Amino acid sequence: MEFWKDETEPIKAFIELFNRAKQDTELYEGLKKVNQLIWFDYTENGPNCSFYVDCRGGEVKVSPGKPDDQPDLTMSLSADDAHRSWSNKLNPVMAITRKKIRIKGSATGLLKLAPKLKKVATIYNVTLKDLGWESKIIS
Amino acid sequence: MKGSTGHFLSVNLSDGSTNSFCPPIDYYSRFIGGAGFAARLFVERGNFETDPLAPDALLIFSLGPFAGLRLSGASRFSAAACSPLTGHWADSSCGGNFAPELKFAGFDGILISGKAEKPSVLVISDHTAKVETYPELWGLGVEKTTAALKHKFGKASKTLVIGPAGENLVKFACIINDGHSAFGRAGLGAVMGSKGLKAIVVRAKDRNFIVEDPIACRKLVSELNSRIKESVTLSVMRENGTAANLEGGVHLGDVPIRNFTSNFWEEMAEALTGSTLSEKYLKRRANCDFCSVACKRIVEITEGPFAIPKGPGPEYETIVSFGSLIGSMDLAATCKAGKMCNDLGMDTISCGATIAWALEAFENGDIGVEECDGLQLKWGDINTIINHLLPTIAEKRGGLGELLAGGSVAAARKTGSKTREYNVHAKGLEAPMHDPRGGGHGLALTYAVSHRGACHVSSPMLFMEMGACYYPEIGFDYELDPLSSENKAESAVLAMALGSLENSACLCQFADREITIPEWVALFNSVAGFNWEIHDMMKAGRRIFYLQRLMNHRYGLRAEDDKISSRLLTPAVDGAPEGIKIEFDKMKTKFYNLMDLDPETGIPSSKTLVDYNLETEADIILKG
Repeated sequence: MEFWKDETEPIKAFIELFNRAKQDTELYEGLKKVNQLIWFDYTENGPNCSFYVDCRGGEVKVSPGKPDDQPDLTMSLSADDAHRSWSNKLNPVMAITRKKIRIKGSATGLLKLAPKLKKVATIYNVTLKDLGWESKIIS
Repeated sequence: MKGSTGHFLSVNLSDGSTNSFCPPIDYYSRFIGGAGFAARLFVERGNFETDPLAPDALLIFSLGPFAGLRLSGASRFSAAACSPLTGHWADSSCGGNFAPELKFAGFDGILISGKAEKPSVLVISDHTAKVETYPELWGLGVEKTTAALKHKFGKASKTLVIGPAGENLVKFACIINDGHSAFGRAGLGAVMGSKGLKAIVVRAKDRNFIVEDPIACRKLVSELNSRIKESVTLSVMRENGTAANLEGGVHLGDVPIRNFTSNFWEEMAEALTGSTLSEKYLKRRANCDFCSVACKRIVEITEGPFAIPKGPGPEYETIVSFGSLIGSMDLAATCKAGKMCNDLGMDTISCGATIAWALEAFENGDIGVEECDGLQLKWGDINTIINHLLPTIAEKRGGLGELLAGGSVAAARKTGSKTREYNVHAKGLEAPMHDPRGGGHGLALTYAVSHRGACHVSSPMLFMEMGACYYPEIGFDYELDPLSSENKAESAVLAMALGSLENSACLCQFADREITIPEWVALFNSVAGFNWEIHDMMKAGRRIFYLQRLMNHRYGLRAEDDKISSRLLTPAVDGAPEGIKIEFDKMKTKFYNLMDLDPETGIPSSKTLVDYNLETEADIILKG
């Protein structure tokens, strides 16, 4: 991995990112509208390298690992590309076209979130800084 | 020639005669079918001096080699003629179900000339055709006409119909297939109307489709159909239609607002996007023949001022044309306006754009209540548009109807020079609902150099800029920044060739994105037996682009006409592209160099014409 020491690091960063995003009213409302169980699968970088976001039922829960329920949407990619993606440095359409991101299930909910990636990236960079990983921030 | 029938139907409406003829066999591999084939046939048989609406003008329908193949995205075809809207060569493409049926009936296309004495219908069935008079259909809307034809010729027959707008020679009249799919652009419905041809009906018993290599073809089609069905982007489109990403487009600044005067309107984004249409009004999804994408919508609105019975719903272009472009975010109204345009037989893009021009002209006092036959025009007043403007335009009623029925460019020409600033077009064709300032600067270039004018389906540039294309075999292995001119000329060279291929092979731009370049070649080879390598295919695409330019040169277009309206080159005042300037001249100069186009005449050098085997065509066109 280019950006991470081991498989625990990216999951720590991404879960913290989502917990902070939930504090932002616009993002929280946007996530609720997705109304899906999404599994972010980075297991190509290690068996425990994944987390899920459950946006169903008007709540948003974030947890490490694979969900017990069948996900509505699974996004499989490398932890490095996930880092680029949350940093808003990876064109999601291009990444899907070039098979860097593999998607199973309905991506309609994600389309609703796409316009908010810029804001997510801002929060992500602050998160990295607060975690002491300023060097990982992509300028 | 495999994949094609080798036969075209020729119809002279003046005497009602119909004949079959065999185009030269080399046309198939050199110009493929669809738009390219129609252009070559016109060079052989057409007259560049003829008025587009004169009896001896030609109207050509042309299939691609894949019509009839059970492949998602392959059931499109082209119509072509000198456009009454733009005054030069143009073609338009249409999905639906007519193309396979015509192929099964034994024809690769139809060439129509003359003018019927009485309103007529061309009836085609298994290798035969006849012209029948149906005066009772004249004046009817598309819906009633289609229903009457289905009643007469059977539900399984497929129809092409014009509405009152085509009969009245509205310059942006369209042709509708089975009440849902459209040859929307360039006013070809008016050409059909000028010939007194209300409709074409086709019915075939046969379902034979002979290909060069059935085993290879079957395997490839099966692989492609599976991939298209499972594609993430296409499943989003299946779920929420072509407007699935309208919301994202608003945030990019791609969606035009109030006649391209703004690039951001947040509340509108969710109100008009495809998922909202699905939630509120979708009854079921519909598809072109053999296509699993099913991006078409069947909608119903049960109450309110815009209630409509269950029927064809709007796609992206219509939603924006009668939504944000005219300052409205009423989704139900876009459904109703789209339904009315379909029934009247008008292109929703040019119609919406012409109305947007009128709204701006009225707002600025360039036209007043008097010129508008007593109407007050204002942004977002969709009631007035639906209840008054649409029928007024289709019937060319009063001064306002006459003014707007000629399209926005002609309307500005009549009204005065200041209103030309409100025109948004290239070569007289109103821009579609993608603003290059946000959608991608390369789009500005491809709008400008497209032979038909501002058209988003003349090339896949929009998809290339958003990252939906990856073609390393032809050198497109790099990422584009939509809001920059970098690499846009180089990409446009590929885009125009690919667009010519798509519009000549008659493949859908959405489904196409799942097909790799080697698979394209394999399709041509296994179906049509072209025995191509990649460079042969790309050469054919560019040959067609050059041929269409030569034709437009003959119609009087020059390099200086490869431009877009100044509004699209003025930096956006809001949204993601705010303040960013499009370096149009730089892109155009580089494109011209790469394509070996003369900076004054706009046509390729003699050497390039030889390289692309276009000497004969150039001789006919330029020395004609």
